[in-house]
Amino acid sequence: MAWVSGQYAVRSVGRNVRRTILSIAGIAIGCVLALFMESMNRGHGELFARAGSASGVGHVRVVPAGWRERRDSRLRLADWQADLASARAIPGVTFATARARAQALLAVGTHVVPVELAGVQPEIEPHTFRYVQKMHEGRYLRAGETGNIVLGRALVNRLTADLDDDIVATTVGPKGDIQSALFRLVGIVETGNDDSDSAVCQVALEDLQHLTQFPGAGEVSVILGDYRQIDAVRAQLASRVATGDDVMTLSEIAPDIEGHLNQDAAVTRFVSWIILLIVLLGVASAQLAAVLERRREFAVLAALGMSGPRLVGLVVQEALLLGAGGAALAIVAGVPLVWKFAHTGLDFRRYVGGSYSFQGVLFDPVVYGDFGWWIVWYIGAVSMGATIAASLYPAWYAARTDPAVALRVAQ
Amino acid sequence: MTENRQRGIFLGLAAIAAISAAALAQPAKPPDAETVLAYLDDLYRSKSSIARAEMIVTSPRSTRTMRLKAWTRGEDEALIVVEAPAREEGTSTLRVGPNLWNYLPRIARTIRVPPSMMLGSWMGTDFTNDDLVKESSLHKDFESRIDRRSDSPPGWWLGLTVKPGIVGRWARIDILISDDGWLPLQEHHFDRKGRLARTMVFDEVRMFGGRRVPAHLVLTPTDVEGQRTEMRYLELEFDAKIPDDTFSLSRLERSR
Amino acid sequence: MAMPLPTTWRIAWRNLWRNPRRTGLALAAIGLSVTLVLLYDGVLRWEADWMVDTITGPMLGHVQAHAREWRRTRSMDKTLRDVSKTVAALRADPDVAGVDARVYAPALAALGEEGFAVMVMGVDMDEAARPSRLLAGLAAPIGHRQVLMGNLLAAQMGVKPGDRIAVVGQGVDGSLANDLFTVVALLTTQVDMVNRQALVMPIGEAQDLFAMSDEAHELVIYGRDVDAAKTLAAHLQQLPALAGDEVLDWKAAEPGMNELVQLVEVMWVFILVLVFVAAAAGVANTALMSTFERTHEFGMLLALGTTPSRIVGMIVLESLALGATGALLGTTLGAALVAWAYRRGIDYAALTGGGPTSLSAFGLRWSLVIYPRLAFIDIVRVVAAVMVTSLVASVWPALRAARLQPARALRE
Repeated sequence: MAWVSGQYAVRSVGRNVRRTILSIAGIAIGCVLALFMESMNRGHGELFARAGSASGVGHVRVVPAGWRERRDSRLRLADWQADLASARAIPGVTFATARARAQALLAVGTHVVPVELAGVQPEIEPHTFRYVQKMHEGRYLRAGETGNIVLGRALVNRLTADLDDDIVATTVGPKGDIQSALFRLVGIVETGNDDSDSAVCQVALEDLQHLTQFPGAGEVSVILGDYRQIDAVRAQLASRVATGDDVMTLSEIAPDIEGHLNQDAAVTRFVSWIILLIVLLGVASAQLAAVLERRREFAVLAALGMSGPRLVGLVVQEALLLGAGGAALAIVAGVPLVWKFAHTGLDFRRYVGGSYSFQGVLFDPVVYGDFGWWIVWYIGAVSMGATIAASLYPAWYAARTDPAVALRVAQ
Repeated sequence: MTENRQRGIFLGLAAIAAISAAALAQPAKPPDAETVLAYLDDLYRSKSSIARAEMIVTSPRSTRTMRLKAWTRGEDEALIVVEAPAREEGTSTLRVGPNLWNYLPRIARTIRVPPSMMLGSWMGTDFTNDDLVKESSLHKDFESRIDRRSDSPPGWWLGLTVKPGIVGRWARIDILISDDGWLPLQEHHFDRKGRLARTMVFDEVRMFGGRRVPAHLVLTPTDVEGQRTEMRYLELEFDAKIPDDTFSLSRLERSR
Repeated sequence: MAMPLPTTWRIAWRNLWRNPRRTGLALAAIGLSVTLVLLYDGVLRWEADWMVDTITGPMLGHVQAHAREWRRTRSMDKTLRDVSKTVAALRADPDVAGVDARVYAPALAALGEEGFAVMVMGVDMDEAARPSRLLAGLAAPIGHRQVLMGNLLAAQMGVKPGDRIAVVGQGVDGSLANDLFTVVALLTTQVDMVNRQALVMPIGEAQDLFAMSDEAHELVIYGRDVDAAKTLAAHLQQLPALAGDEVLDWKAAEPGMNELVQLVEVMWVFILVLVFVAAAAGVANTALMSTFERTHEFGMLLALGTTPSRIVGMIVLESLALGATGALLGTTLGAALVAWAYRRGIDYAALTGGGPTSLSAFGLRWSLVIYPRLAFIDIVRVVAAVMVTSLVASVWPALRAARLQPARALRE
């Protein structure tokens, strides 16, 4: 009997082509919109992962014991070279680099500026810290060189220095004694923002180790090819690092970013629901209208012996057919759209005046949507769910048809 | 930046000074730069010292005068007690090795200065905390030569160029030394870009415990409007006998 | 058309109600779409205001004034002089709603022997305690030698309310500033930096401590309308009291924050467009469907002698009437909901199942209680969109109806 009612459903749907097409179109539009929202939502994760990684925070980071609580830049890893090697050996890791930091005073003559000096690995650092990818003047540090420094423009101005000047860096050593070293300014970075400029203060890792007389590195920063692997890589790395060393994710290091991420996700999901609800209403009203019109038809069916539940089943089957049609159309229209979104992204830079950095975190306001197999089941679920929900009332209404009353009512 | 210089014994030099003084009228022969430099290094140096000094800091806003008493021993230990102005009397700073404490009598508290703040300025002056007892050696760090003669004031200009590999802010220092006794009269400090960064002027030569040294120094940075620091030694004792318990926290709190 | 408009309207209206259930449903669909869009608009409008309020309320204010060099070097001695006169002059200005004079002084604080780097903030206690300001909701006034400590700083130092701490710093004249203070309460403000580093005290106390006479480092000025901050800044720069000082609106003072606000706005507007499209699609769908169903009826009318142009007019008017009524219903409901929510506040955390009631991001804490509100333009925009959509949706069926062959239509 289900087969027969199925065929009947197909025929009913085919009978009023225009209405069917309109319904399917309505469902499809709603699905595509909701799909776009969901893709953007998922893409948000990528936006913040990208921001975190480009700022040098990294997707995952190996930190010394105690750093989680104290964030003391003087702490050092138990075995940074082993940690670095372990990180590089994990599949999915595109870059891993080591750094050490120290509070220092830079001086040129009587001009003195306190900074946080970072000792880095010049061959890899630009891949993990966007600000040093392009020098405004001069060049970046090179592997194997010592005695050079790269600074942000704001620092250079405060020191009244120029390219190729010698700058004295002074820091407090492990025994509390004062250590100094000379560095040549080989490169100047301009981020367009004073605070960000002040964050660029880099020498070679060996130079910092020598200056502070602290051997070792304080962090190994890891960038992944796919930010969604963050938790998996964290777990893997945690089991392989030297004893005592800790592994943290971007979210743990910069919970502020994650907080914003969560808020955004929650709100956009809320909006997705709004969109779906709107679509649902449209579909429901069309379905109900259809049912109302076919009262006589349902009355005849009821008179012929079709039971209430079967009538409900009929309406629901029709709805499902519509839903399937809507889903198909949504896939055809939506997949290319989301694909484009995932590859080109929505570029908001024009509206925001370019990239910007906030409190040391770089933001490129370009949102890339997410693209994957999830699209298929998402559309399916939304479409079917919406149509079934929309057809509940009409179905119930149809089931209540009193054949006698219905047959008497003029169409 | 004041550099405490410790002085050795040089009867010979004193003799030369006496002769030079007598021979003022005649154009003198330039002295040996290296020797002069070594002499300058040791000018204020001793194994231990007790001093009472006045420090006057002039800024565009105000002029502030402080009087201090300072005990130093070796390179690692120093105690400085503020005697004036009344508002800050009894405030003291103790350095033992890498540790630095401040005692504040007004609130009867001793506070340890965290290592990160060691690089900061001491008591609002142009000196950093570490400058208090830092050793510097012109002789070791700089190449020297006699540049030219100065007629008024009479003396010789010594040109010091930093040796390669030496870490320091000054690429060049010009020192004007007097004919009588090779005392510094003026110093010009040039930064690593070759710009004149600051000037020091020395005068009021006095005898302290058998040594003749300028008692008054004025430090003027070139770039900053209306800013300068003056120091005047009121009393200065070289190789002083200092009680063992001087450089201790308990002494800090009782300091007088 | 020969007949006057009102009659056509009446016919259109009556046509709508010939099938009350279907029309009712269509109205419900359109009305609810409009309600939802207005709700979203209400939240969006709140969001923009809320972001700006959270950013400007506690720390930035609408406009800031400093001595020329202070922002670059943060030197203690770069102060604004004769501050009480300046504040009085500012308060007398009709565009100024409030002025908070501030002192910022780095210092060392110690509970025992261990010194911690802190930032002493001297503020105008009354101003800062106003709603959405830094110390909003502060109950008791602060007395002599008393101080508020950021909660994170207190945790780091091991300080509890009631403890006495030593504060040591450098006065503006270079002298040593030091005194003992009692921590009366711990602060949890919206500003991360304050919670992490600050000792907050009345500005008079800070001035005493740091040997400042009627000076301040910053004047935080609140105007009557945050959107007019730039004009206010330009206006205040002209005041003799502030001649020679640096006067900035909050966007110029913190461009990073401003860019953040802009980015969020752009993204939300983008989403608004999506919502609009969804609503429009719904309206169009309904309108289209309700006109296509009546092909038979139009055929009959045509056969009876009605001119095609009158049929077109009727269809268009019906669609417009449907849209207008739906929009009216939706607006009424939507506006009422927004007004109710505004009065009450929607607790977002409760809505999403007990998440945090505030959010920490970008150095600020953002409260997640929503107070949606609407501007007239929002309503106009939605209604216009619905009308336009209804109109456009009626074009296709109307044209089709006009070209109908009565005989064929009658057979459908």
